[in-house]
Amino acid sequence: MGAINEIAARLLETGEAKVVIGYGEGSFGSVRPAFARNQEEAEKLIYDKRCTQNLAMYVYKKEISPLRKLAIVANVSTLRGIIRLASENQIKNGDIITLYINELGEVIECKALSEIEICLAEITPEIKPEDKELIDKLDAMTPQERWNFWISEMESCIKCYACRQACPLCYCTQCAVEVNQPQWIPVAANTSGNLEWHITRAMHLSGRCVECGQCGEACPVNIPIHLLPIKLAEEIKNIYGTVSGMKIQESNTLSTFKPDDKENFIG
Amino acid sequence: MARIGVFICHCGENISATVDCAKVSELAAGLPGVVYSTDYKYMCSDPGQSKIKEAIREHNLTGVVVSACSPRMHEPTFRKACAEAGLNPYLCEMANIREHCSWVHEKGDATTQKAFDLTRTLVEKVKNNHPLESIKVPVNKTAIVIGGGVAGIQASLDIANGGHQVILVEKQPSIGGHMSQLSETFPTLDCSQCILTPRMVEVAQHPNITLYTCSEIESMDGFIGNFNVKIRKKAKSVNEKLCTGCGLCTTKCPTKNIPSEFEQGLANRTAIYVPFPQAVPNKPVIDRANCRYFLTGKCKVCQKLCPTGAIDFEQEDEIIDVKAGAIVLATGFEIKNTDFFPEYGYGKYKDVINGLQFERLASASGPTQGAIRRPSDGKTPEKVVFIACAGSRDPAKGIPYCSKICCMYTAKHAMLYKHKVHEGTPYVFYMDIRAAGKNYDEFTRRAIEEDGAKYIRGRVSNIYEKDGKLIVRGADTLLGGKPVEIDADMVVLATAAVSCDGSESLAQKLHVSYDPYKFFAEAHPKLKPVETNTAGIYLAGACQAPKDIPESVAAASGAAAKVICLFSNDELTREPIVAKVNRMPPPIFSTCMGCEMCISICPYQAIDKENITNRNGEVIKTIAKINPGLCQGCGTCVAFCKSKSIDLEGYSNKQVYEEVLALLNN
Repeated sequence: MGAINEIAARLLETGEAKVVIGYGEGSFGSVRPAFARNQEEAEKLIYDKRCTQNLAMYVYKKEISPLRKLAIVANVSTLRGIIRLASENQIKNGDIITLYINELGEVIECKALSEIEICLAEITPEIKPEDKELIDKLDAMTPQERWNFWISEMESCIKCYACRQACPLCYCTQCAVEVNQPQWIPVAANTSGNLEWHITRAMHLSGRCVECGQCGEACPVNIPIHLLPIKLAEEIKNIYGTVSGMKIQESNTLSTFKPDDKENFIG
Repeated sequence: MARIGVFICHCGENISATVDCAKVSELAAGLPGVVYSTDYKYMCSDPGQSKIKEAIREHNLTGVVVSACSPRMHEPTFRKACAEAGLNPYLCEMANIREHCSWVHEKGDATTQKAFDLTRTLVEKVKNNHPLESIKVPVNKTAIVIGGGVAGIQASLDIANGGHQVILVEKQPSIGGHMSQLSETFPTLDCSQCILTPRMVEVAQHPNITLYTCSEIESMDGFIGNFNVKIRKKAKSVNEKLCTGCGLCTTKCPTKNIPSEFEQGLANRTAIYVPFPQAVPNKPVIDRANCRYFLTGKCKVCQKLCPTGAIDFEQEDEIIDVKAGAIVLATGFEIKNTDFFPEYGYGKYKDVINGLQFERLASASGPTQGAIRRPSDGKTPEKVVFIACAGSRDPAKGIPYCSKICCMYTAKHAMLYKHKVHEGTPYVFYMDIRAAGKNYDEFTRRAIEEDGAKYIRGRVSNIYEKDGKLIVRGADTLLGGKPVEIDADMVVLATAAVSCDGSESLAQKLHVSYDPYKFFAEAHPKLKPVETNTAGIYLAGACQAPKDIPESVAAASGAAAKVICLFSNDELTREPIVAKVNRMPPPIFSTCMGCEMCISICPYQAIDKENITNRNGEVIKTIAKINPGLCQGCGTCVAFCKSKSIDLEGYSNKQVYEEVLALLNN
């Protein structure tokens, strides 16, 4: 039994956590999210290289949320997701114990959000090489080529909203796509309507995205949809120097009115 | 079911010359939901308004569209007419078929079609209107006046005499401002202090005025009628309640060599000091940066001497919370110092002085008791050169504007000099003599014709010292640019008037706009000269632009009148065009997720948190709440809210969407 199982068992036994969100063996050699509520379930938790899913999206799900305090097995993007959720007031300090597994495989137990910030302070987030490659390829295109690329990708979207469900930051009880008075985004899966949905999603994530790439992972038709928010995050970092999900008291980069903001980009 | 009435106005011929109004009316009558449609020559006239009122009563209208001019002028007219007929005024909308159509297009079918299209969009909008009530906000009848110069004094006295409470906040240890430093004033040459100090005393004694000196604005929030201001009252190290103002401490202070701010560095003061003998309040303060005790930890001479034990070295800055309904900004101006001018010696020549220093030399209460003497050796100067436009009207120096007061005070200086030194010769280098104002031109003519000031039209290229004289080299442009060289004993620079240091940060604290030179901006250069863009904040005096005393006083009285007008109401009425966070039945309560990002994006600090609690007082959900008194209806939060939980009353998403659809589904 590895460290993660021991810690999970202890947290459940002492009642410090009602549930430990982690990873378990799935079928055909895959991993799946697992929710340990007792000793027996705690023993089945695993952690290895296959465990890349950002579990932070479970903490606000209505089935899980009432079970706070929760413990959650975390990789870097989970930590960033939790910090971002905290800065948007979706998590309170003390709601969550994170079991961060670092590069050396050590489990670091963070009970306070400030401890997560300390873990993150040592990390420089990087875009995955394969994503970087595709972003560079898209950057090199003319606007028309890029438009054609996305249009052709959008044709295959079936509007299943798996991208939204997988995102640690899509916590709204009423998503913009569900608003029908007025109906901003068409419900039907057609190319222009799909594009509207994905542009809206990217804009709603701009300045917030923690670059976990889960939306792209979740897509059943393999649209590299995670590139839109990741590219926006990169742009924001370049322009404003801010990276989302690293500090709780971070500024809301694109949603802060400052009287001394320079308006030199106008005219 | 909607029952909409459409009223097409001819606006005399303004609209009907290019739009077929009868046709528009006829087409509008066919729109779904429209039960009445008509056209008339002047809809805003009495008979026009009666048509609307009659139609509302006869046809039981649930909405009105008036297709006429811009809503700027007549929306209130038509909304009032609707209200008089019993229809909620916010169920009336205007389509602008004049500025947006008839005035900008040729006569023709397309123009008529456009007028109809504009009308149609508003019909679709008004179907989605719902009744709104105007917002009432209470008015706190206390005014804060920031700055205690002549403008601040005038505004305070006017408001206080109007029966309202005034809090006057002054940065310096005494009120009085620049006017208290002046010797005589143009164009009458009456003594500045003689006319100002009675006003200063009146401020101190007025039952309605609370005076805070050594104080600055720390922060401000709130809105017209309801400002919350924090004032930082800096430690004076002297207990004002105990101090009797006997002045014993100032005579015994061992640190005596601090250049006096009031005397413009021409005399020294002690570390515990009263800025000038007529100061209000006339109680000393300790300048901690120069006090021996604060620098070395030893001394306390003043404390030992003080007969009332008023010296308090432990005193700390105090933050005073005040509530006010209006704010008057009267922070005044500063002048550039002589070190701003490399060509005039970077301030290194002692006998090159600025205008305020000359005022102190000429003042009977000044360091020389009014005798004109050179600061370097105390000799009476035989030739004095006055240079107008030192820095002003010079884009190369970053000050392209005219400082306005210099032409007049330079003429005054030349006159005062001649009156005090009969055998002396005043020279004035000028660009133009700008003496517009009552008795102003007569005054400058007097300086030239009666007092013999030698006016030379041209600029001074440089000044250098030679054998105890200041050699002033310039050109006389009226003589074809003939070089002029004067061996002067003293040079007075009429340096540019600039905004106060710190005016930018004050403007940001108060959310008041300012111009590129950091002078505060008025709401309209002609029709709202004392208002700012922030409702409830007014301008007085030279914080807006360089102004002379009469102008500053007039502006101050203007601002005071605005404040008194505001205070004559117990409540303010505001348009209910404000954003609103949605509320729903349990268990959702609101689709707002409480991410609070709208709080940081709001330019007016109008958004706050609101806890939804159950009957036991437990918090179920925290959501955003918009203060209708603060919200300006800009819609930034509406556009930003990810879950679309905020909407703008009167311009809801639904309304705007329907307008757009009406155009698209042509």
